[in-house]
Amino acid sequence: MSKHGITRRNVMRNGAGVLAATAVGAPMVHAQGTGGTIRCGFWDHWVPAGNGILRELCAEWGQRNRVEVNIDFITSVGNQNLLTIAAQAQSRSGHDLLSFPTWEPASKAELLEPVDDVMGRLIQKYGAVTPAAEYLGKIRGKWVAIPAVSGTQMKPACVRFDLMQQHAGIDIRAMWPAENRQGPGADTWNWNTFLTAAEKCHAAGFPFGMPMGSFTDAVDTVGAIFASFGAFMMDERGNPTVRGNAKLRTAVEYMVRLSRFLPNDVWAWDDASNNRALISGRSALIFNPPSAWAVAKRDAPQVSQNCWTVPMPAGPEGRFVPYLPYFWGIWSFSRQKPAAKGLLEFLSERPQAERQTTTSNGYDIPPFASMSDFSIWATEGPPTGTVFNYPLKAHHNARTSVAMAPAPAEFAVQAYTQALNTKVVARVVQGGETIDQALTWLERELTNIRRGG
Amino acid sequence: MAADGSLAMNGGTGMRSGRANSMQRFARRRSTIAFVMTLPLLAIIVGLVAYPAAYAIYLSTLNRRMTEFAGTLNFELLFESDTFWAVAFQSCFFAITAVLLKALLGFWLAHMLHHIPDKGQRKWRGMLLVPWVIPPALSTLGWWWMFDPSYSSINWLLAIVSVPEVPWLGHHWWARIAIIMVNVWIGAPFFMIMYLAALKSVPEQLYEAAAIDGASSWQRLRYVTLPMMANIISITVLFSLIVTFANYDIVRVLTNGGPRDLTHVFASYAFQVGILSGNIPRGAAVSLFMFPILAICAFFVLRSVTRRNKEQM
Amino acid sequence: MSATAANRDAPGIYHKAGSLRAERRWALWTAYASLGVAAIIFLAPPFYMLITSLKTSGEIANMTGNPWLVRDPTLENYEAIVFNPMFQRFMLNSIIITASVVALTMVISILAAFALARMRFWGSQVLATGVFLTYLVPDTLLFIPLYQIVGGLGLLNSIWGLILVYPTLTVPFCTWIMIGYFASIPKELDEAALIDGASWPQMLIKIFIPVALPGIIAATIFAFTVSWAAFVYPTAFVTTPDQMPLTIGVVSQLVRADTFAWGQIMAGALMAALPPVVIYAFLMDYYIAGLTAGATKG
Repeated sequence: MSKHGITRRNVMRNGAGVLAATAVGAPMVHAQGTGGTIRCGFWDHWVPAGNGILRELCAEWGQRNRVEVNIDFITSVGNQNLLTIAAQAQSRSGHDLLSFPTWEPASKAELLEPVDDVMGRLIQKYGAVTPAAEYLGKIRGKWVAIPAVSGTQMKPACVRFDLMQQHAGIDIRAMWPAENRQGPGADTWNWNTFLTAAEKCHAAGFPFGMPMGSFTDAVDTVGAIFASFGAFMMDERGNPTVRGNAKLRTAVEYMVRLSRFLPNDVWAWDDASNNRALISGRSALIFNPPSAWAVAKRDAPQVSQNCWTVPMPAGPEGRFVPYLPYFWGIWSFSRQKPAAKGLLEFLSERPQAERQTTTSNGYDIPPFASMSDFSIWATEGPPTGTVFNYPLKAHHNARTSVAMAPAPAEFAVQAYTQALNTKVVARVVQGGETIDQALTWLERELTNIRRGG
Repeated sequence: MAADGSLAMNGGTGMRSGRANSMQRFARRRSTIAFVMTLPLLAIIVGLVAYPAAYAIYLSTLNRRMTEFAGTLNFELLFESDTFWAVAFQSCFFAITAVLLKALLGFWLAHMLHHIPDKGQRKWRGMLLVPWVIPPALSTLGWWWMFDPSYSSINWLLAIVSVPEVPWLGHHWWARIAIIMVNVWIGAPFFMIMYLAALKSVPEQLYEAAAIDGASSWQRLRYVTLPMMANIISITVLFSLIVTFANYDIVRVLTNGGPRDLTHVFASYAFQVGILSGNIPRGAAVSLFMFPILAICAFFVLRSVTRRNKEQM
Repeated sequence: MSATAANRDAPGIYHKAGSLRAERRWALWTAYASLGVAAIIFLAPPFYMLITSLKTSGEIANMTGNPWLVRDPTLENYEAIVFNPMFQRFMLNSIIITASVVALTMVISILAAFALARMRFWGSQVLATGVFLTYLVPDTLLFIPLYQIVGGLGLLNSIWGLILVYPTLTVPFCTWIMIGYFASIPKELDEAALIDGASWPQMLIKIFIPVALPGIIAATIFAFTVSWAAFVYPTAFVTTPDQMPLTIGVVSQLVRADTFAWGQIMAGALMAALPPVVIYAFLMDYYIAGLTAGATKG
């Protein structure tokens, strides 16, 4: 059981001194007077220390506000978090607030407490939110959930620079140094270069470890590649845009060519397989947040010393980074809405956000562009600066990509859980279909989703 | 109650007839008592099996948000989707192959066990039943780790005899084989135990008679063992067909349906669609497809069991 | 048998006996060879789980060397698991659930089996068949409507919801084999008891339960293993770690995607599998009796 309680006795003992410090926290909680318990279901962090810091922060806030904070950590392995969200939505009971991945706030919008007040204050303080997060969290003009710090991740390329240099002749660290500038050759870092490198590393026995299954790493990465080719499967109104879509076809063709240089079982890889491929030293590149590197640092230091995170290669329509945001949402059936809002506002503020990011080895990406300068990204190592380019920086010229956008949320969430974008590629490469057949299949699936409502 | 009645008639003394009266009262009251005693069982059967089954049919006619009646839309959409047909194929392929292999392997092992001296049998039987005893979800976890693409210990063994690396869970045919392997591994011991019990019940004289008639070992198997075991074989096979067809945990732990949904069986697909993607009516529709096949199997099991009971009487 | 007949047949018999002995020896060798191979294959996965559970993460991540051997065995994974409050909670939940379900099951099925075996009443035959048919219904057929029903009762994500639905897995089979055991008790016994003025409950407790004890033990073991190993219902109905039993807890919570905890996963899986294995080791004969009694699921 991963519960953490601040017992009433503790609170009493800490007494009035703590009360004085409350002013920072959440203005609305005062009306509540004492007590109450908030039950939180946070995403079970993949960086070992990631859960600890949330626990710590909640404890601090709870003591200041005399609210008991119970925490469960809910893993996304085996889609446990989706199950939890579905079950609580079904029974209208459970936690007061939960972590919602990508499309879930939109699909559960009618069951979520609007948080425009909190978002208003935060935006006033820290500036605009990343557009992708706003797109997913602000439904019909209302913020239904707060873009979370803990758990929100990018999936740029984590490169073994030694192998890349040796087998593909690319000095990735020179291209993307740990500074706010592009190095020489960064303009050649596009999908064509990437394909050649993939071929060479594959020939050398260190294929790129890019999952092509139905889990988030695969769907997000392929989504970003599609986006950089300008390839979209469904428009804002829910109409499939497959037929006669030359860009989509080019993107699928590209993926088909690329897949031939990936390990032959990527079709079944889960979110951990690419990490294992990197940690075992058998892969020259994966698309992942720094957790793979962090685990390698613990279990296989000789691998982690040769890792360098760089932005995604660019495509004809620009550079897109796979983005998997988490949102903190408050159920409308919660009885602790003001307190929950207070807690979430506290967690979103810069000092607390920085502590989350720092403890998670730089894994967590705060939703505000103004926060992409935390020092952890520059100092983390060895090699120092390895995750400097992990968050989105101005000189990357990149945008965040959300797989299945711009489809309406209720359709996008289905296409996302069914991993339609990786499957269309898999049908060609593994299933031996022609691209036309696969695209016909894709269109039929999308139409079915639309018909099913 | 014939015995009771005759007792009372023979007695005829006041005391005896008094007892007979109380027994008659018993007889009258006992059907009420019996009914009360079976009430909890009835509640389970009606409340948690029959009612949900009817409810499933109702659910399958609703739309995704369960706000309105959608008729047969869920079934139409399923029929139109490739994935569904792949699931249907995989369910049948998996169940039939796995059950056949389990039955053959179980039969072979039971035979082998039967051949060795009695005192060694217990030890071997104890060892061979272990896969059946471990909860399947947990042992499948061990298999999953053995199939891991980067760290597969099976591939390591294969590499010794210079077999190239097998993408166990990466290619759909290999993944299907892997699922069948795990299922056979878990289920074969059960068949072995059942067949061993049946083999032991074949009277030794039959074999002696056959040996005197000069029957070869194949002939003995064909004309003595198999006919004697026919019933138990059909019961176990049908049973296993039901359970294997409805299997969920192996697929859930090993492949989660991947790659490309080609290893989904009805149960795991129903779970994926109904609970994970939140489309309860569609999920209910998927699981309803299991029903006819299971009903046919159940019918034959019931027939074999009744026949077996009659034989034993 | 006359001497001449014996003489005439003798060579043939001797010859046949000789080939029979050779055939026997050959058969014995085949038997031992097949059983040996089967034992290796059957025991390899648990063995490999054990080996993995004794390794450090570093050693597991190390690709050189034989994965089937452990170089520096460590108990740190077991230590981490045993002192992990989450795992302790899984264990506790499993114990609560299993104990309640076994108790419920045995009470329900002994009562019902007694009534069905001994007191014929209107519809009893139909009910007995119904019990058997219910037993044939797999859990995966009904988990979606049950999800709605359990949710409607407010019991989703609660061990009580599981305690409510698990009896559908255990009661039918236990009732079925108890009917068999009770029916095999000679009728004379209960008649004698009735004449001595015993009531039905007394008869059940004083005669039926003691006489059918082996059957009751076998049924209890069955109920125990089924509710300990149940997977579909907890996967569907329970979502937070504090309400999870071991099976789903180990599978969903210990498998942490990006981090590398295979040693702990295997240690957890083995510890979770221990209770049924221990019961099996000590009560193998009852276990097998239960298996063969009613042609269980396989």
